[in-house]
Amino acid sequence: MATVSKGNPWIFFGRLWLGIAYAFMFLPLAVLVLFSFQKNRFPGFPLQGFTLQWYDKLFSDGTLLNALGNTMIVSPAAATVATAIAFFAAYAFNRFTFRGKTTFLALVTLPILIPPLILGVGFLGLLARIHLSGTLFAVFLTHVVLITAPALAIIQLRLAQMPASLEEAAWDLGATEWQTVVKVVLPFAMPGIFGAWLLAFTFSFDEFIIAWFVSGFQPTLPVAIYSVLVAAIDPSLNAIGTIVFGISCLVLIGLELVLLPLLIGKPEKQS
Amino acid sequence: MTTVETSATKPMRTPNDSPLKIWFLAPLAIWLTVFFLLPLIFLLWIGFWRVENFQSVPDFSLGNYADIFASFFSKSRYGLALIQSLWVAITTAFFATILSYMVALSIAFAVPARWQRLALLIAIAPFWSSYVLRLYSWQTILSRNGVINSVLKQFGLADYRIDLIYTQIATRIGLIHYLAPILIVILYVSILAIDRVLIEAARELGCTRWQAFTRVILPLSRFGLMTAASFAIIVSLGDALSGNLLGGGAGTSIIGKLPTYASMIMSDYSSSTNLPRTSALATILIVVMVLALAAGFVAADRARRRTS
Repeated sequence: MATVSKGNPWIFFGRLWLGIAYAFMFLPLAVLVLFSFQKNRFPGFPLQGFTLQWYDKLFSDGTLLNALGNTMIVSPAAATVATAIAFFAAYAFNRFTFRGKTTFLALVTLPILIPPLILGVGFLGLLARIHLSGTLFAVFLTHVVLITAPALAIIQLRLAQMPASLEEAAWDLGATEWQTVVKVVLPFAMPGIFGAWLLAFTFSFDEFIIAWFVSGFQPTLPVAIYSVLVAAIDPSLNAIGTIVFGISCLVLIGLELVLLPLLIGKPEKQS
Repeated sequence: MTTVETSATKPMRTPNDSPLKIWFLAPLAIWLTVFFLLPLIFLLWIGFWRVENFQSVPDFSLGNYADIFASFFSKSRYGLALIQSLWVAITTAFFATILSYMVALSIAFAVPARWQRLALLIAIAPFWSSYVLRLYSWQTILSRNGVINSVLKQFGLADYRIDLIYTQIATRIGLIHYLAPILIVILYVSILAIDRVLIEAARELGCTRWQAFTRVILPLSRFGLMTAASFAIIVSLGDALSGNLLGGGAGTSIIGKLPTYASMIMSDYSSSTNLPRTSALATILIVVMVLALAAGFVAADRARRRTS
Protein backbone atom coordinates (compact mmCIF):
# COMPACT_ATOMS: atom_id res chain seq x y z
CA MET A 1 0.00 0.00 0.00
CA ALA A 2 1.75 3.13 -1.21
CA THR A 3 -0.14 5.55 0.96
CA VAL A 4 1.01 3.94 4.20
CA SER A 5 4.46 5.21 5.04
CA LYS A 6 6.36 6.60 7.95
CA GLY A 7 5.81 10.20 8.92
CA ASN A 8 2.29 10.42 7.55
CA PRO A 9 0.20 12.44 10.02
CA TRP A 10 -3.03 11.06 8.58
CA ILE A 11 -2.15 7.60 9.89
CA PHE A 12 -2.04 9.02 13.40
CA PHE A 13 -5.38 10.80 13.03
CA GLY A 14 -6.89 7.70 11.48
CA ARG A 15 -5.87 5.50 14.38
CA LEU A 16 -6.96 8.12 16.90
CA TRP A 17 -10.38 8.30 15.26
CA LEU A 18 -10.64 4.52 15.18
CA GLY A 19 -9.91 4.49 18.92
CA ILE A 20 -12.65 7.04 19.58
CA ALA A 21 -15.08 5.07 17.41
CA TYR A 22 -14.32 1.84 19.28
CA ALA A 23 -14.88 3.60 22.61
CA PHE A 24 -18.26 4.89 21.38
CA MET A 25 -19.31 1.49 20.04
CA PHE A 26 -18.35 -0.46 23.14
CA LEU A 27 -19.34 2.01 25.87
CA PRO A 28 -22.96 0.76 26.20
CA LEU A 29 -21.89 -2.88 26.27
CA ALA A 30 -19.22 -2.23 28.90
CA VAL A 31 -21.71 -0.32 31.06
CA LEU A 32 -24.26 -3.11 30.70
CA VAL A 33 -21.88 -5.85 31.82
CA LEU A 34 -20.25 -3.77 34.57
CA PHE A 35 -23.48 -2.77 36.28
CA SER A 36 -25.01 -6.23 36.08
CA PHE A 37 -22.49 -7.13 38.80
CA GLN A 38 -22.81 -3.96 40.90
CA LYS A 39 -25.06 -3.22 43.87
CA ASN A 40 -26.10 0.19 42.50
CA ARG A 41 -29.86 0.48 42.11
CA PHE A 42 -29.27 3.14 39.44
CA PRO A 43 -26.17 2.68 37.28
CA GLY A 44 -23.63 5.39 38.15
CA PHE A 45 -20.46 6.09 40.08
CA PRO A 46 -19.18 5.48 42.73
CA LEU A 47 -19.51 1.71 42.41
CA GLN A 48 -21.09 0.06 45.41
CA GLY A 49 -19.48 -3.35 45.22
CA PHE A 50 -19.86 -6.74 43.58
CA THR A 51 -23.16 -8.61 43.74
CA LEU A 52 -25.10 -11.31 41.94
CA GLN A 53 -28.47 -10.12 43.27
CA TRP A 54 -29.73 -8.98 39.84
CA TYR A 55 -29.11 -12.43 38.38
CA ASP A 56 -30.94 -13.86 41.40
CA LYS A 57 -33.87 -11.54 40.77
CA LEU A 58 -33.83 -12.39 37.07
CA PHE A 59 -34.00 -16.13 37.69
CA SER A 60 -36.57 -15.95 40.48
CA ASP A 61 -38.85 -13.49 38.67
CA GLY A 62 -39.10 -15.40 35.41
CA THR A 63 -40.87 -12.89 33.11
CA LEU A 64 -37.74 -12.09 31.14
CA LEU A 65 -36.54 -15.69 31.17
CA ASN A 66 -39.94 -16.79 29.83
CA ALA A 67 -39.55 -14.30 27.03
CA LEU A 68 -36.03 -15.56 26.35
CA GLY A 69 -37.53 -19.04 26.11
CA ASN A 70 -40.13 -17.79 23.61
CA THR A 71 -37.39 -16.21 21.54
CA MET A 72 -35.29 -19.35 21.64
CA ILE A 73 -38.25 -21.24 20.16
CA VAL A 74 -39.14 -18.72 17.46
CA SER A 75 -35.73 -17.58 16.25
CA PRO A 76 -34.07 -20.95 15.55
CA ALA A 77 -37.26 -22.21 13.88
CA ALA A 78 -37.59 -19.09 11.71
CA ALA A 79 -33.88 -19.14 10.86
CA THR A 80 -34.06 -22.81 9.83
CA VAL A 81 -37.10 -22.41 7.59
CA ALA A 82 -35.75 -19.19 6.09
CA THR A 83 -32.36 -20.76 5.37
CA ALA A 84 -33.98 -23.76 3.70
CA ILE A 85 -36.17 -21.55 1.49
CA ALA A 86 -33.16 -19.36 0.77
CA PHE A 87 -30.92 -22.28 -0.20
CA PHE A 88 -33.34 -23.65 -2.78
CA ALA A 89 -34.00 -20.20 -4.20
CA ALA A 90 -30.31 -19.32 -4.27
CA TYR A 91 -29.59 -22.52 -6.18
CA ALA A 92 -32.28 -21.70 -8.71
CA PHE A 93 -31.13 -18.09 -9.07
CA ASN A 94 -27.54 -19.24 -9.50
CA ARG A 95 -28.23 -21.90 -12.11
CA PHE A 96 -31.23 -20.89 -14.15
CA THR A 97 -32.05 -17.94 -16.32
CA PHE A 98 -35.68 -16.99 -16.71
CA ARG A 99 -37.85 -14.03 -17.49
CA GLY A 100 -38.49 -11.65 -14.60
CA LYS A 101 -35.43 -12.83 -12.64
CA THR A 102 -34.30 -9.29 -11.81
CA THR A 103 -37.79 -8.29 -10.72
CA PHE A 104 -38.04 -11.38 -8.53
CA LEU A 105 -34.68 -10.64 -6.89
CA ALA A 106 -35.71 -7.03 -6.25
CA LEU A 107 -38.96 -8.26 -4.70
CA VAL A 108 -37.01 -10.55 -2.37
CA THR A 109 -34.88 -7.70 -1.02
CA LEU A 110 -37.91 -5.46 -0.49
CA PRO A 111 -38.77 -6.83 2.99
CA ILE A 112 -35.47 -5.53 4.39
CA LEU A 113 -35.84 -2.16 2.69
CA ILE A 114 -39.37 -1.48 3.91
CA PRO A 115 -39.25 -0.29 7.54
CA PRO A 116 -40.31 -3.06 9.93
CA LEU A 117 -42.77 -0.63 11.51
CA ILE A 118 -44.82 -0.57 8.31
CA LEU A 119 -44.53 -4.34 7.87
CA GLY A 120 -45.64 -4.77 11.48
CA VAL A 121 -48.87 -2.85 10.90
CA GLY A 122 -49.48 -4.78 7.67
CA PHE A 123 -48.83 -8.18 9.25
CA LEU A 124 -51.14 -7.33 12.12
CA GLY A 125 -53.93 -6.45 9.69
CA LEU A 126 -53.61 -9.74 7.83
CA LEU A 127 -53.02 -11.99 10.84
CA ALA A 128 -55.86 -10.48 12.87
CA ARG A 129 -58.09 -11.24 9.89
CA ILE A 130 -57.17 -14.94 9.96
CA HIS A 131 -57.14 -15.03 13.79
CA LEU A 132 -53.45 -15.77 14.13
CA SER A 133 -52.27 -12.53 15.71
CA GLY A 134 -51.09 -12.59 19.29
CA THR A 135 -49.28 -15.90 19.02
CA LEU A 136 -45.68 -17.00 18.74
CA PHE A 137 -46.62 -18.70 15.49
CA ALA A 138 -47.46 -15.28 14.03
CA VAL A 139 -44.01 -14.00 14.99
CA PHE A 140 -42.47 -17.06 13.33
CA LEU A 141 -44.38 -16.57 10.07
CA THR A 142 -43.44 -12.91 9.79
CA HIS A 143 -39.81 -13.31 10.82
CA VAL A 144 -39.25 -15.86 8.07
CA VAL A 145 -40.19 -13.22 5.47
CA LEU A 146 -37.86 -10.69 7.03
CA ILE A 147 -34.77 -12.89 7.33
CA THR A 148 -35.00 -14.85 4.07
CA ALA A 149 -33.46 -12.00 2.07
CA PRO A 150 -30.19 -11.73 4.03
CA ALA A 151 -29.89 -15.54 4.15
CA LEU A 152 -30.42 -15.69 0.39
CA ALA A 153 -27.75 -13.06 -0.21
CA ILE A 154 -25.16 -14.97 1.83
CA ILE A 155 -25.88 -18.34 0.20
CA GLN A 156 -25.79 -16.73 -3.24
CA LEU A 157 -22.34 -15.32 -2.47
CA ARG A 158 -21.15 -18.84 -1.68
CA LEU A 159 -22.83 -20.54 -4.66
CA ALA A 160 -21.35 -17.93 -7.00
CA GLN A 161 -17.94 -19.29 -6.03
CA MET A 162 -18.89 -22.80 -7.18
CA PRO A 163 -17.48 -23.72 -10.61
CA ALA A 164 -20.26 -24.93 -12.92
CA SER A 165 -18.05 -27.85 -13.94
CA LEU A 166 -18.52 -29.38 -10.49
CA GLU A 167 -22.19 -30.01 -11.14
CA GLU A 168 -21.62 -31.01 -14.76
CA ALA A 169 -19.12 -33.63 -13.64
CA ALA A 170 -21.70 -35.10 -11.27
CA TRP A 171 -24.32 -35.26 -14.04
CA ASP A 172 -21.81 -36.85 -16.41
CA LEU A 173 -21.07 -39.50 -13.84
CA GLY A 174 -24.73 -40.39 -13.75
CA ALA A 175 -26.11 -38.54 -10.74
CA THR A 176 -29.66 -37.29 -11.03
CA GLU A 177 -30.22 -33.58 -10.57
CA TRP A 178 -31.58 -34.08 -7.09
CA GLN A 179 -28.63 -36.28 -6.10
CA THR A 180 -26.28 -33.60 -7.42
CA VAL A 181 -27.97 -30.96 -5.29
CA VAL A 182 -27.81 -33.10 -2.16
CA LYS A 183 -24.35 -34.65 -2.60
CA VAL A 184 -22.39 -31.97 -4.43
CA VAL A 185 -24.00 -28.54 -4.13
CA LEU A 186 -25.17 -28.81 -0.53
CA PRO A 187 -21.75 -29.74 0.92
CA PHE A 188 -20.12 -26.99 -1.11
CA ALA A 189 -22.67 -24.41 0.10
CA MET A 190 -22.41 -25.50 3.74
CA PRO A 191 -20.26 -22.57 4.99
CA GLY A 192 -22.69 -20.17 3.31
CA ILE A 193 -25.68 -21.99 4.79
CA PHE A 194 -24.12 -21.91 8.24
CA GLY A 195 -23.37 -18.17 7.96
CA ALA A 196 -26.84 -17.50 6.58
CA TRP A 197 -28.47 -19.38 9.46
CA LEU A 198 -26.50 -17.41 12.05
CA LEU A 199 -27.29 -14.10 10.36
CA ALA A 200 -30.97 -15.00 10.08
CA PHE A 201 -31.03 -16.13 13.70
CA THR A 202 -29.49 -12.85 14.88
CA PHE A 203 -31.95 -10.73 12.90
CA SER A 204 -34.89 -12.66 14.30
CA PHE A 205 -33.45 -12.72 17.82
CA ASP A 206 -33.14 -8.94 17.85
CA GLU A 207 -36.29 -7.99 15.93
CA PHE A 208 -38.57 -5.77 17.99
CA ILE A 209 -41.27 -3.80 16.25
CA ILE A 210 -42.96 -6.55 14.22
CA ALA A 211 -42.96 -8.82 17.27
CA TRP A 212 -44.42 -5.94 19.29
CA PHE A 213 -47.35 -5.68 16.91
CA VAL A 214 -48.10 -9.38 16.44
CA SER A 215 -46.87 -11.23 19.55
CA GLY A 216 -49.60 -10.19 21.99
CA PHE A 217 -49.41 -12.10 25.26
CA GLN A 218 -46.48 -14.25 24.18
CA PRO A 219 -43.77 -11.62 24.00
CA THR A 220 -40.35 -12.30 22.55
CA LEU A 221 -37.34 -11.12 24.52
CA PRO A 222 -36.96 -7.63 22.96
CA VAL A 223 -40.68 -6.97 23.49
CA ALA A 224 -40.52 -8.10 27.12
CA ILE A 225 -37.42 -5.98 27.75
CA TYR A 226 -39.18 -3.01 26.23
CA SER A 227 -42.21 -3.37 28.46
CA VAL A 228 -40.00 -3.64 31.56
CA LEU A 229 -38.05 -0.61 30.37
CA VAL A 230 -40.97 1.74 29.92
CA ALA A 231 -42.24 0.78 33.39
CA ALA A 232 -39.10 1.41 35.45
CA ILE A 233 -35.34 1.11 35.55
CA ASP A 234 -34.61 -2.41 36.70
CA PRO A 235 -31.01 -3.64 37.01
CA SER A 236 -32.02 -7.21 36.20
CA LEU A 237 -32.12 -5.85 32.65
CA ASN A 238 -28.35 -5.57 32.98
CA ALA A 239 -28.24 -9.23 33.96
CA ILE A 240 -30.35 -10.45 31.01
CA GLY A 241 -28.34 -8.08 28.83
CA THR A 242 -25.10 -9.72 29.88
CA ILE A 243 -26.55 -13.16 29.15
CA VAL A 244 -27.79 -12.04 25.74
CA PHE A 245 -24.41 -10.48 25.09
CA GLY A 246 -22.81 -13.86 25.80
CA ILE A 247 -25.11 -15.52 23.24
CA SER A 248 -24.25 -12.81 20.71
CA CYS A 249 -20.53 -13.37 21.28
CA LEU A 250 -20.94 -17.05 20.37
CA VAL A 251 -22.87 -16.14 17.23
CA LEU A 252 -20.25 -13.53 16.41
CA ILE A 253 -17.38 -15.99 16.59
CA GLY A 254 -19.29 -18.31 14.28
CA LEU A 255 -19.95 -15.49 11.86
CA GLU A 256 -16.35 -14.32 11.89
CA LEU A 257 -15.23 -17.77 10.83
CA VAL A 258 -17.75 -17.96 8.00
CA LEU A 259 -19.23 -14.66 6.91
CA LEU A 260 -16.30 -12.27 6.61
CA PRO A 261 -14.24 -14.48 4.27
CA LEU A 262 -17.32 -14.54 2.04
CA LEU A 263 -17.84 -10.77 2.15
CA ILE A 264 -14.36 -9.36 1.77
CA GLY A 265 -12.23 -12.35 0.85
CA LYS A 266 -12.24 -11.79 -2.91
CA PRO A 267 -15.44 -13.59 -3.94
CA GLU A 268 -15.60 -14.22 -7.69
CA LYS A 269 -19.03 -12.71 -8.26
CA GLN A 270 -19.42 -13.82 -11.87
CA SER A 271 -21.71 -16.82 -11.97
CA MET B 1 -23.93 -30.92 -22.87
CA THR B 2 -22.06 -33.34 -25.08
CA THR B 3 -23.33 -36.19 -22.94
CA VAL B 4 -26.90 -35.49 -23.90
CA GLU B 5 -26.14 -36.05 -27.57
CA THR B 6 -24.80 -39.55 -26.93
CA SER B 7 -28.04 -40.78 -25.39
CA ALA B 8 -30.12 -40.15 -28.45
CA THR B 9 -33.22 -41.76 -27.03
CA LYS B 10 -33.79 -38.89 -24.59
CA PRO B 11 -34.94 -35.48 -25.81
CA MET B 12 -32.37 -32.66 -25.78
CA ARG B 13 -32.21 -30.90 -22.47
CA THR B 14 -30.07 -27.97 -21.41
CA PRO B 15 -29.05 -27.27 -17.81
CA ASN B 16 -31.48 -24.37 -17.87
CA ASP B 17 -34.38 -26.67 -18.56
CA SER B 18 -35.27 -28.58 -15.41
CA PRO B 19 -38.24 -29.16 -13.14
CA LEU B 20 -36.08 -27.97 -10.25
CA LYS B 21 -36.50 -24.40 -11.53
CA ILE B 22 -40.14 -24.33 -10.46
CA TRP B 23 -39.83 -26.53 -7.37
CA PHE B 24 -36.93 -24.59 -5.88
CA LEU B 25 -38.39 -21.15 -6.45
CA ALA B 26 -41.93 -22.02 -5.41
CA PRO B 27 -41.42 -21.95 -1.60
CA LEU B 28 -39.91 -18.46 -1.75
CA ALA B 29 -42.54 -17.19 -4.17
CA ILE B 30 -45.42 -18.57 -2.11
CA TRP B 31 -44.06 -17.31 1.23
CA LEU B 32 -43.39 -13.86 -0.20
CA THR B 33 -46.85 -13.62 -1.74
CA VAL B 34 -48.76 -14.79 1.31
CA PHE B 35 -46.73 -13.17 4.06
CA PHE B 36 -45.32 -10.11 2.37
CA LEU B 37 -47.33 -8.87 -0.61
CA LEU B 38 -50.67 -9.79 0.93
CA PRO B 39 -49.99 -7.91 4.21
CA LEU B 40 -48.84 -4.87 2.24
CA ILE B 41 -52.00 -4.90 0.17
CA PHE B 42 -54.00 -5.36 3.37
CA LEU B 43 -52.21 -2.39 4.89
CA LEU B 44 -53.20 -0.14 2.01
CA TRP B 45 -56.75 -1.48 2.02
CA ILE B 46 -57.40 -1.37 5.78
CA GLY B 47 -56.52 2.32 5.68
CA PHE B 48 -59.96 2.78 4.10
CA TRP B 49 -61.91 0.75 6.65
CA ARG B 50 -63.94 2.28 9.39
CA VAL B 51 -64.33 1.45 13.06
CA GLU B 52 -67.70 0.69 14.64
CA ASN B 53 -68.04 -0.26 18.31
CA PHE B 54 -64.29 -0.91 18.52
CA GLN B 55 -64.49 -3.33 15.57
CA SER B 56 -62.82 -2.74 12.23
CA VAL B 57 -65.38 -2.94 9.45
CA PRO B 58 -64.39 -3.41 5.79
CA ASP B 59 -65.43 -0.36 3.85
CA PHE B 60 -64.19 2.10 1.33
CA SER B 61 -64.24 5.36 3.20
CA LEU B 62 -61.80 8.22 3.24
CA GLY B 63 -62.75 8.89 6.85
CA ASN B 64 -59.37 7.95 8.32
CA TYR B 65 -57.45 10.16 5.95
CA ALA B 66 -59.93 13.02 6.41
CA ASP B 67 -59.52 12.65 10.18
CA ILE B 68 -55.75 12.64 9.98
CA PHE B 69 -55.42 15.59 7.62
CA ALA B 70 -58.14 17.66 9.31
CA SER B 71 -55.89 18.23 12.33
CA PHE B 72 -52.59 17.57 10.62
CA PHE B 73 -50.79 20.55 12.10
CA SER B 74 -53.11 21.48 14.95
CA LYS B 75 -54.59 19.05 17.47
CA SER B 76 -53.17 15.68 16.47
CA ARG B 77 -49.96 17.22 15.11
CA TYR B 78 -49.19 14.28 12.80
CA GLY B 79 -47.76 16.76 10.32
CA LEU B 80 -45.41 18.30 12.86
CA ALA B 81 -44.29 14.83 13.91
CA LEU B 82 -43.58 14.07 10.27
CA ILE B 83 -41.42 17.19 10.00
CA GLN B 84 -39.64 16.25 13.22
CA SER B 85 -39.03 12.76 11.79
CA LEU B 86 -37.59 14.11 8.54
CA TRP B 87 -35.34 16.55 10.42
CA VAL B 88 -34.06 13.87 12.79
CA ALA B 89 -33.62 11.30 10.00
CA ILE B 90 -31.73 13.63 7.65
CA THR B 91 -29.35 14.96 10.31
CA THR B 92 -28.82 11.46 11.70
CA ALA B 93 -28.04 10.10 8.23
CA PHE B 94 -25.64 13.00 7.60
CA PHE B 95 -23.63 12.52 10.78
CA ALA B 96 -23.78 8.71 10.74
CA THR B 97 -22.51 8.58 7.16
CA ILE B 98 -19.63 11.01 7.70
CA LEU B 99 -18.50 9.47 10.98
CA SER B 100 -18.72 5.92 9.58
CA TYR B 101 -16.90 6.99 6.42
CA MET B 102 -14.06 8.29 8.58
CA VAL B 103 -13.94 4.95 10.40
CA ALA B 104 -13.94 3.01 7.11
CA LEU B 105 -11.16 5.23 5.74
CA SER B 106 -9.16 4.77 8.93
CA ILE B 107 -9.46 1.00 8.66
CA ALA B 108 -8.58 0.95 4.97
CA PHE B 109 -5.61 3.35 5.09
CA ALA B 110 -4.30 3.59 8.66
CA VAL B 111 -4.37 -0.09 9.62
CA PRO B 112 -1.81 -2.59 8.23
CA ALA B 113 -3.43 -4.89 5.66
CA ARG B 114 -3.30 -8.05 7.74
CA TRP B 115 -5.03 -6.39 10.73
CA GLN B 116 -7.81 -4.80 8.70
CA ARG B 117 -10.20 -7.72 8.97
CA LEU B 118 -9.85 -7.78 12.74
CA ALA B 119 -10.27 -3.99 12.92
CA LEU B 120 -13.48 -4.22 10.86
CA LEU B 121 -14.74 -7.11 12.96
CA ILE B 122 -14.25 -5.17 16.19
CA ALA B 123 -15.99 -2.12 14.73
CA ILE B 124 -19.11 -4.10 13.80
CA ALA B 125 -19.18 -6.40 16.83
CA PRO B 126 -21.76 -4.34 18.81
CA PHE B 127 -24.25 -4.83 15.97
CA TRP B 128 -24.83 -8.41 17.07
CA SER B 129 -25.96 -7.42 20.53
CA SER B 130 -29.59 -6.53 21.15
CA TYR B 131 -30.72 -3.09 19.98
CA VAL B 132 -33.24 -2.64 22.80
CA LEU B 133 -30.59 -3.47 25.37
CA ARG B 134 -28.10 -1.07 23.84
CA LEU B 135 -30.72 1.68 24.04
CA TYR B 136 -31.39 0.79 27.67
CA SER B 137 -27.67 1.07 28.33
CA TRP B 138 -27.51 4.46 26.60
CA GLN B 139 -30.43 5.50 28.78
CA THR B 140 -28.44 4.73 31.93
CA ILE B 141 -25.38 6.46 30.46
CA LEU B 142 -27.11 9.67 29.42
CA SER B 143 -29.74 10.05 32.11
CA ARG B 144 -29.77 12.90 34.60
CA ASN B 145 -27.98 10.95 37.35
CA GLY B 146 -26.51 8.46 34.92
CA VAL B 147 -23.01 7.22 34.26
CA ILE B 148 -21.60 10.31 32.55
CA ASN B 149 -23.06 12.79 35.01
CA SER B 150 -21.98 10.74 38.02
CA VAL B 151 -18.43 10.62 36.66
CA LEU B 152 -18.46 14.39 36.16
CA LYS B 153 -19.70 14.79 39.73
CA GLN B 154 -16.86 12.61 41.05
CA PHE B 155 -14.36 14.96 39.45
CA GLY B 156 -16.12 18.04 40.86
CA LEU B 157 -17.41 19.06 37.45
CA ALA B 158 -21.09 18.91 38.40
CA ASP B 159 -21.62 22.29 36.72
CA TYR B 160 -20.82 20.78 33.34
CA ARG B 161 -23.37 17.99 33.59
CA ILE B 162 -24.98 17.02 30.33
CA ASP B 163 -28.70 17.17 29.83
CA LEU B 164 -29.22 15.06 26.74
CA ILE B 165 -31.74 12.42 27.79
CA TYR B 166 -35.24 12.92 26.36
CA THR B 167 -33.98 15.17 23.59
CA GLN B 168 -33.76 14.27 19.92
CA ILE B 169 -29.97 14.46 20.27
CA ALA B 170 -30.19 11.35 22.45
CA THR B 171 -32.46 9.80 19.79
CA ARG B 172 -29.75 10.45 17.22
CA ILE B 173 -27.03 8.95 19.42
CA GLY B 174 -29.02 5.73 19.70
CA LEU B 175 -29.69 5.65 15.96
CA ILE B 176 -26.06 6.35 15.05
CA HIS B 177 -24.93 3.61 17.38
CA TYR B 178 -27.31 1.23 15.63
CA LEU B 179 -26.44 2.37 12.09
CA ALA B 180 -22.66 2.75 12.36
CA PRO B 181 -21.69 -0.95 12.01
CA ILE B 182 -23.83 -1.41 8.90
CA LEU B 183 -22.62 1.82 7.32
CA ILE B 184 -18.99 1.00 8.13
CA VAL B 185 -19.29 -2.32 6.26
CA ILE B 186 -20.99 -0.70 3.23
CA LEU B 187 -18.39 2.08 3.09
CA TYR B 188 -15.39 -0.15 3.74
CA VAL B 189 -16.42 -2.51 0.94
CA SER B 190 -16.85 0.45 -1.43
CA ILE B 191 -13.39 1.81 -0.48
CA LEU B 192 -11.85 -1.64 -1.01
CA ALA B 193 -13.30 -1.66 -4.51
CA ILE B 194 -11.26 1.42 -5.47
CA ASP B 195 -8.29 0.50 -7.63
CA ARG B 196 -5.14 1.22 -5.60
CA VAL B 197 -3.26 1.96 -8.83
CA LEU B 198 -5.36 5.10 -9.28
CA ILE B 199 -4.33 6.41 -5.86
CA GLU B 200 -0.68 5.61 -6.48
CA ALA B 201 -0.80 7.28 -9.87
CA ALA B 202 -2.30 10.42 -8.35
CA ARG B 203 0.43 10.49 -5.71
CA GLU B 204 3.21 9.99 -8.23
CA LEU B 205 1.85 12.71 -10.45
CA GLY B 206 2.33 15.14 -7.58
CA CYS B 207 -0.98 15.12 -5.66
CA THR B 208 -0.71 15.70 -1.92
CA ARG B 209 -2.40 13.09 0.24
CA TRP B 210 -5.36 15.45 0.73
CA GLN B 211 -5.71 16.01 -3.01
CA ALA B 212 -5.50 12.29 -3.68
CA PHE B 213 -8.38 11.93 -1.22
CA THR B 214 -10.61 14.70 -2.57
CA ARG B 215 -9.95 13.98 -6.26
CA VAL B 216 -9.69 10.19 -6.37
CA ILE B 217 -10.99 8.43 -3.27
CA LEU B 218 -13.96 10.67 -2.49
CA PRO B 219 -15.46 10.72 -6.01
CA LEU B 220 -14.99 6.97 -6.31
CA SER B 221 -16.73 6.26 -3.01
CA ARG B 222 -19.71 8.45 -3.96
CA PHE B 223 -21.91 5.46 -4.74
CA GLY B 224 -21.12 3.87 -1.38
CA LEU B 225 -21.82 7.14 0.40
CA MET B 226 -25.15 7.53 -1.37
CA THR B 227 -26.17 3.96 -0.53
CA ALA B 228 -25.16 4.40 3.10
CA ALA B 229 -26.99 7.72 3.47
CA SER B 230 -30.23 6.48 1.90
CA PHE B 231 -30.14 3.37 4.04
CA ALA B 232 -29.61 5.53 7.13
CA ILE B 233 -32.55 7.79 6.21
CA ILE B 234 -34.91 4.85 5.68
CA VAL B 235 -33.94 3.21 8.96
CA SER B 236 -34.15 6.48 10.92
CA LEU B 237 -37.56 7.35 9.49
CA GLY B 238 -38.94 3.94 10.40
CA ASP B 239 -37.41 3.60 13.84
CA ALA B 240 -39.58 4.22 16.89
CA LEU B 241 -37.43 2.61 19.57
CA SER B 242 -34.68 5.18 19.91
CA GLY B 243 -37.20 8.00 19.84
CA ASN B 244 -39.26 6.32 22.55
CA LEU B 245 -36.50 5.20 24.89
CA LEU B 246 -33.86 7.93 24.48
CA GLY B 247 -36.07 10.70 23.11
CA GLY B 248 -38.65 9.93 25.79
CA GLY B 249 -41.51 9.80 23.30
CA ALA B 250 -41.61 13.51 22.63
CA GLY B 251 -38.01 14.65 22.65
CA THR B 252 -37.02 18.28 22.21
CA SER B 253 -35.22 19.49 19.12
CA ILE B 254 -34.87 22.80 17.28
CA ILE B 255 -38.34 22.16 15.89
CA GLY B 256 -39.90 21.67 19.30
CA LYS B 257 -40.96 19.09 21.82
CA LEU B 258 -42.48 16.62 19.41
CA PRO B 259 -42.42 12.84 18.93
CA THR B 260 -41.12 11.36 15.70
CA TYR B 261 -43.75 10.06 13.32
CA ALA B 262 -42.80 6.43 13.96
CA SER B 263 -43.16 6.86 17.74
CA MET B 264 -46.48 8.51 17.09
CA ILE B 265 -47.74 5.52 15.08
CA MET B 266 -46.68 3.19 17.87
CA SER B 267 -48.23 5.18 20.70
CA ASP B 268 -51.32 5.87 18.61
CA TYR B 269 -51.86 2.16 18.09
CA SER B 270 -51.17 1.15 21.69
CA SER B 271 -53.57 3.77 23.07
CA SER B 272 -56.41 3.31 20.57
CA THR B 273 -55.85 -0.10 18.88
CA ASN B 274 -57.55 1.57 15.96
CA LEU B 275 -55.99 -0.51 13.21
CA PRO B 276 -57.60 1.30 10.26
CA ARG B 277 -56.22 4.66 11.37
CA THR B 278 -52.81 3.15 12.16
CA SER B 279 -52.77 1.63 8.68
CA ALA B 280 -53.61 4.99 7.14
CA LEU B 281 -50.78 6.61 9.13
CA ALA B 282 -48.35 3.90 7.96
CA THR B 283 -49.46 4.42 4.36
CA ILE B 284 -48.65 8.11 4.67
CA LEU B 285 -45.17 7.15 5.92
CA ILE B 286 -44.65 4.91 2.87
CA VAL B 287 -45.62 7.78 0.55
CA VAL B 288 -43.25 10.18 2.33
CA MET B 289 -40.38 7.67 2.11
CA VAL B 290 -40.89 7.01 -1.57
CA LEU B 291 -40.95 10.78 -2.19
CA ALA B 292 -37.81 11.32 -0.10
CA LEU B 293 -35.95 8.57 -1.94
CA ALA B 294 -37.09 9.86 -5.33
CA ALA B 295 -35.89 13.35 -4.42
CA GLY B 296 -32.56 11.85 -3.36
CA PHE B 297 -32.17 9.98 -6.66
CA VAL B 298 -32.98 13.10 -8.70
CA ALA B 299 -30.49 15.15 -6.69
CA ALA B 300 -27.79 12.50 -7.07
CA ASP B 301 -28.44 12.26 -10.80
CA ARG B 302 -28.12 16.05 -11.20
CA ALA B 303 -24.89 16.04 -9.17
CA ARG B 304 -23.45 13.30 -11.35
CA ARG B 305 -24.28 15.14 -14.55
CA ARG B 306 -22.69 18.35 -13.29
CA THR B 307 -19.42 16.66 -12.35
CA SER B 308 -19.06 14.46 -15.42
